[in-house]
Amino acid sequence: MSKAEKFAVLGQNVDRFEGHDKVTGSAAYVADVFLPGMLTGRILRSPLPHARIRNIDTSRAEKLRGVKAVVTAEDTIKQGWGVFFPDQYPLSVGKARYVGEEVAAVAAIDRDTAEEALELIEVDWEELPAVFDAEEAMQDGAPLVHEEKDSNIALTIDVERGDIDAAFRDSDLVIEDTFESVPQWHSAIETIGSVADYSANGKYTVYMNTQTLFMARMRLATALGVREADVRVIQTAVGGGFGGKSCDDNNAMVAAILARKARRPVKIINTREEEFLAGSRPRVNMKVWVRMGFKSDGRIRAKHMRVIADNGAYSGKAPAITGVAALRHDTCYKYSDVRSEAYLVYTNKIPTGAFRGFGNPSAEFSVEQMMDIAADELNMDPFEMARLNAAEPGYVSPHGNRVISCELKQCIDRTERMIGWKEKRADRKPNRGLGMGCTVHVSGKRHFGDYDGSSATIKMNEDGKAFILSGEGETGQGHWTAMCQIAAEELGVPFSDVAISEADTDLTTFCLGNYASRLTYVAGNAVKNAATNVKEILHETAAEMLEADPGDLVSRDGYIFVKGAEQRAISVADVVRGRQFRRGGAPVVASGSFDADSVSQDALRYGNESGAYNFGAQAAEVEVDPDTGRVTVIQYAVASDCGTVIYPIGAEGQVEGSIAQGLGYALIEGIRMEEGRPINPNFSDYRLASMRDMPDLVHEFADSYEPTGPFGAKGLGELGMDPVAAIISNAIYDAVGVRIKTLPITAEKVLRALQEKKKNGS
Amino acid sequence: MKREMVLNVNGEEHDVEITPDRLLLEALREDVGLTGTKEGCSIGVCGACSVIVDGRLVSACLTLAVTCEGKKIETIEGLARDGELHPLQRSFVQYGGFQCGICTPGQIMAAKALLDHNPTPSADQVKEWMSANLCRCTGYYKILESVMAVVEGKVDEERRDEAVRQARIQSLYQSDTYKSGASD
Repeated sequence: MSKAEKFAVLGQNVDRFEGHDKVTGSAAYVADVFLPGMLTGRILRSPLPHARIRNIDTSRAEKLRGVKAVVTAEDTIKQGWGVFFPDQYPLSVGKARYVGEEVAAVAAIDRDTAEEALELIEVDWEELPAVFDAEEAMQDGAPLVHEEKDSNIALTIDVERGDIDAAFRDSDLVIEDTFESVPQWHSAIETIGSVADYSANGKYTVYMNTQTLFMARMRLATALGVREADVRVIQTAVGGGFGGKSCDDNNAMVAAILARKARRPVKIINTREEEFLAGSRPRVNMKVWVRMGFKSDGRIRAKHMRVIADNGAYSGKAPAITGVAALRHDTCYKYSDVRSEAYLVYTNKIPTGAFRGFGNPSAEFSVEQMMDIAADELNMDPFEMARLNAAEPGYVSPHGNRVISCELKQCIDRTERMIGWKEKRADRKPNRGLGMGCTVHVSGKRHFGDYDGSSATIKMNEDGKAFILSGEGETGQGHWTAMCQIAAEELGVPFSDVAISEADTDLTTFCLGNYASRLTYVAGNAVKNAATNVKEILHETAAEMLEADPGDLVSRDGYIFVKGAEQRAISVADVVRGRQFRRGGAPVVASGSFDADSVSQDALRYGNESGAYNFGAQAAEVEVDPDTGRVTVIQYAVASDCGTVIYPIGAEGQVEGSIAQGLGYALIEGIRMEEGRPINPNFSDYRLASMRDMPDLVHEFADSYEPTGPFGAKGLGELGMDPVAAIISNAIYDAVGVRIKTLPITAEKVLRALQEKKKNGS
Repeated sequence: MKREMVLNVNGEEHDVEITPDRLLLEALREDVGLTGTKEGCSIGVCGACSVIVDGRLVSACLTLAVTCEGKKIETIEGLARDGELHPLQRSFVQYGGFQCGICTPGQIMAAKALLDHNPTPSADQVKEWMSANLCRCTGYYKILESVMAVVEGKVDEERRDEAVRQARIQSLYQSDTYKSGASD
């Protein structure tokens, strides 16, 4: 461990790498891509939640002037795709399974023509019985979403560690309860879109606002029936991802199919309504039953959890998300005996999927409230109880997660101080309450193939400026800036002497992309290793030029000098040119790789899922209006353990943004559906918090160092989101004595609970 | 159906040929070719398409282009002058007032419209005004900080030091290795 490392570039608030582009309007998002001859694509979507397609007649649409291509499943290879189960098609094959599913598509010279053509497509539907509730869908005799499967249960998990029955018998307090979450939409201000081009030599080029380029390429290749190298995915600027742009939708597939048929570039940008109907895959809504046993001193003794997760019509990433909901949180506290059951169930609704937190928010909404209930029952301070149970360095969870760095207790202490817990508890005000909770997340997760790694290449320009080639891509979180800082630190050059490429599957090595809070840790290690390798080449040439031993050289501020004789120095630019412009010259270029020391979970879901774990504690103070049920968050406090902070503005931004999304999840967000049809698919009915809604927020980063991370860093992006809803619920209970167990916690629910409480005279 | 008209955008006149139902958003992005103005919700709720027309902040997704004939339209592209960022733009970079950046042109135009009318708003006034501009990344904290930094005069001069850059370019071409490399 070298916590005392002094950094030249890390920890500095440099100007964000792509900042000037973004504040001047010159950053090019996918809607800003215009190619010669480009057509507008529009998609015909299923109006029914479950229906067989007897026939599709596209002849009238094809004849409309300005229409260049009309496609249905007949224009595809009818190959299912999907990261875990290949259950989804680019265009409906035989039947549609949710309202909004892609049935046919048109490419035309403009949007009006394309939309007119959609109205000319005639689909002969045979409506089928549909199922919308996951528990109903589990029953015998429920309509089957996928007829070829004998049940709607897509996945079952049932693992027990230790002896759960004995552990409950050994408990002094046993409590149980059920909690329910709702689908939350990513609501990125930019919708999903793509521009696809198809060249005569059979190659597809697809501009996409994706978070995961190479995974997008893999799925496109599968569905189109071509080799991966026949598809080039280029990432445009991405206007917000949060998991929603990790490519489990069909937008780019349809654009590519249209482009091939029209032999012209096709752009499809989801409308806001389409984004809600069939765009980003919303958070998997879950019903979670938990029973927990505690010793009288507050120690957790046993936990049994049963999760029913609503998958919607197709699987996407929901199998992994369900696994996280069932198992991840057991890394936060010290557990010995646990049992987790989980069922992922198909319904006739939009497929659910990855959203910041990846299953963890539903689990923490449940377990972090159980901790609060237990503290109340045991008459303990929740902070004391959290400290007593908190994970520590060296902890191995019952499912095999190995914790190296862990500053959870420090986070708990910091949060307690920041929110003024003791003072406010000693001086309680009517209708005001405090709540707290803890959280854990990963820094990358090994679940897509046996690989949890990254790679990068750095080439040095003749002027001494380093250029990082990386396929991970930037989604807005500041990843590019952090990577440039890591490279600058390792190379010993100023931040302004490093740049990073756009992500492009043809030009960069394989990268998994933006998910699982993995980039700073996993990609950061790869970039650092590439920089180490480049520095070795630079030092080799510098040693020749300075007539010194390579081992005696040091890099700093763009110069390489002999340690102890600093006047013997040469600029990095001179070294690069010295190596290039000579007989037998060569460029200075090197790659670096990193694969985390994690393992793929075995059949019983055992195995260390990530290379490093990040931890946090949070607390809220709320005020509840007893006459209306309205909840106002007065103050919110966050302490996060993400190891070394590389790019402080970026890190703070991750905390602030995830708390904002967490508060939305807790209090206002959620799609309302009737018979599988979203009834609020727009921003005036699906409300997002605005600037005046935000509470006073205080946050700190723990003093922490992750020895396996690049310069001690680990993940952060999702951590803040996970426990927010539980903490708000805990604070409401503290304020007015009612506990809301379903999301979102609307004023109506609080008011109803208050009236109920009054009626019962409790 | 289409008619010829002139749109004055950022002090420059643009001849466009558009139908009466053409939205200002479409005209700016597709006819004038200024794509800095973004589409978010298409119903005037999110503020991503905020532009200033004759000093008033409007949603370009709800404004017909023909109604802007003869008026002064300001968009994000008009803020930086001679390569120098507007103080709001500098502030958003310095204080991290954006992440993905899709709402940023609208946020900056909204803030400009406010500061043009009231250069010294309180934080509460900024919050109220800016609440018509949604952001999904930042939680708004750094947007507020960026705007208040301009109000309070806490924005640094552009941090890219041109003198240093020029010196580096000079040294590049004076470098011995470059010369010896070329003559070898």
